[in-house]
Amino acid sequence: MSAALPVPVIQLLQVLTVALGAPGVTGVIARVEARLQGRRGPRVLQPYYDLAKLFRKEALAPEGASWFFLAAPLIAVAAYLTIPLLIPVLTTYGLPLGYMGDILGGGFLLSLASFVIATAALETRDPYAQLGSSRAKTFSAITEPVVLFVVFTVALLTGTDLPYALAATVRSSAGQVIRPGHLLAAAALFMVILHETGRIPVETHTGTNEFGMIEEARAFEHSGPYFALLKWGSELKQLILYTILANVFLAPWGLASTQQVGAVILAIAALLAKACAVGCAVAVIDNSFAKLRLFKITEYVSAAFLIAVLGVFTLYLGGG
Amino acid sequence: MDPVQAPGVYEGVANVIAAVMLLLEFGMLRQALARDQIRLYMAQSALLSVLAIVIAADRNLPDLYALAALSAGLKVVAVPLVMRRLLGRAVPDEEEPAGVAGSHTLSPASAVLASIVLAAIGFFCFGALGIRNPAAPTLALALAAAMVLVAFGLMIIRRDVASQAIGFFTLENAISLAALVVASGLPLILETAFLFDLLVAVVVFGMLIRAHHTKAESLSTADLTRLRG
Repeated sequence: MSAALPVPVIQLLQVLTVALGAPGVTGVIARVEARLQGRRGPRVLQPYYDLAKLFRKEALAPEGASWFFLAAPLIAVAAYLTIPLLIPVLTTYGLPLGYMGDILGGGFLLSLASFVIATAALETRDPYAQLGSSRAKTFSAITEPVVLFVVFTVALLTGTDLPYALAATVRSSAGQVIRPGHLLAAAALFMVILHETGRIPVETHTGTNEFGMIEEARAFEHSGPYFALLKWGSELKQLILYTILANVFLAPWGLASTQQVGAVILAIAALLAKACAVGCAVAVIDNSFAKLRLFKITEYVSAAFLIAVLGVFTLYLGGG
Repeated sequence: MDPVQAPGVYEGVANVIAAVMLLLEFGMLRQALARDQIRLYMAQSALLSVLAIVIAADRNLPDLYALAALSAGLKVVAVPLVMRRLLGRAVPDEEEPAGVAGSHTLSPASAVLASIVLAAIGFFCFGALGIRNPAAPTLALALAAAMVLVAFGLMIIRRDVASQAIGFFTLENAISLAALVVASGLPLILETAFLFDLLVAVVVFGMLIRAHHTKAESLSTADLTRLRG
């Protein structure tokens, strides 16, 4: 295992790992969740079969919907596949395209994807899809400040806002892991991730009750390959957010520090294992709490905001 | 911009415990049920004892182990027990005492925002003092100051005797936290004397809760705003 991979190949592998691993992680979470509820659950590979089936189906668009309705899923998936270039998925060292954008750049891409999906949902004139996109935009407006404060914390911790820099800082000593600023930011980010991936206590991701839906409702009118892209997109988004939490904040260990084939393979396995571990934690939360009523979500977000603001406060005085 | 330097592991642990204590204080603000508030108070007091153990191990002060045990016995076991019995007697059939659930004067989200402002005042006042001394870590002190202000906020925002008593007890927790980080070498007898101050407060609040309940048949303090001749 002494062969070294060229840098562009590793860069490509980052995208491929996320692209191909995302449905698998979703499958593992669904399986764990079913076991927790005493069901046998679907097989782990089920999301791949679902996608393959949807890609073979016919695509329909509602009458009067413009070209944007069909373009939106493509734009969203393209945005999601760009983010793995910017964050430390497999390596501790920044790859050539890794400095194209900072954390805010990644955040912009996530918002762009969510924006085009919401706009496409508006195109359909379906009340439920419109309800979903209106809710998604309302709530993302109130989680935005939380994300900003998490970014401020990262800036105070590292002096930059590059995800690679924070991962390196966290790895550098135990004192960096245990400091309140870092832990509070990670906790706030985790709460935002629960919100963004449509998990309890914000939204039930299974079931068909439209009144509680936020993100799920937006894809109602899409069908065939376009619906498959939306589904795949939300799986990609989930794995990307888990990667940011695990590889930047909580456990940036197990990443490849060289270009050796062995190290890179190990990093792929470590990433998927970490993502599944985060997913298991999410599944446990999913099974132990009730969904909040829609207008109680502001309280949940205000708790996340409080934690993020406290993180910045503790750092402001120094020594946090 | 230079990154903020990381403190050592021990100081980091102490700061994290102080930060979680402040978060629990915010949690009390949000809780609707008196028994949940008491549970949070128990958790906060337990954390205070853990902090005493951490400091005892770090600075090699065996006295603090005794203090941790004493404080845990009093605040994690005795005070919550007394509070539960008092509230249990106020309302016989295991029901929630009237006036605790609906005693918010602000909506939970605005209460949190108002308390963030209070905490910020506490923080930045201590930051402005410019204490730069290894014996007194600014951050833990500032967290204690923020906790004092948020505890005051809790007593102002909630209009029921039970929350106000809990607010007062957590005030004592905040002051103990400040005392622990600044003057951990204080003689044990003095620290114990501070703890017994809390007992006086418990007795006084116990009397108040009972007197108020027999007179007003509610734990809400809303009717106390009217003047009586």
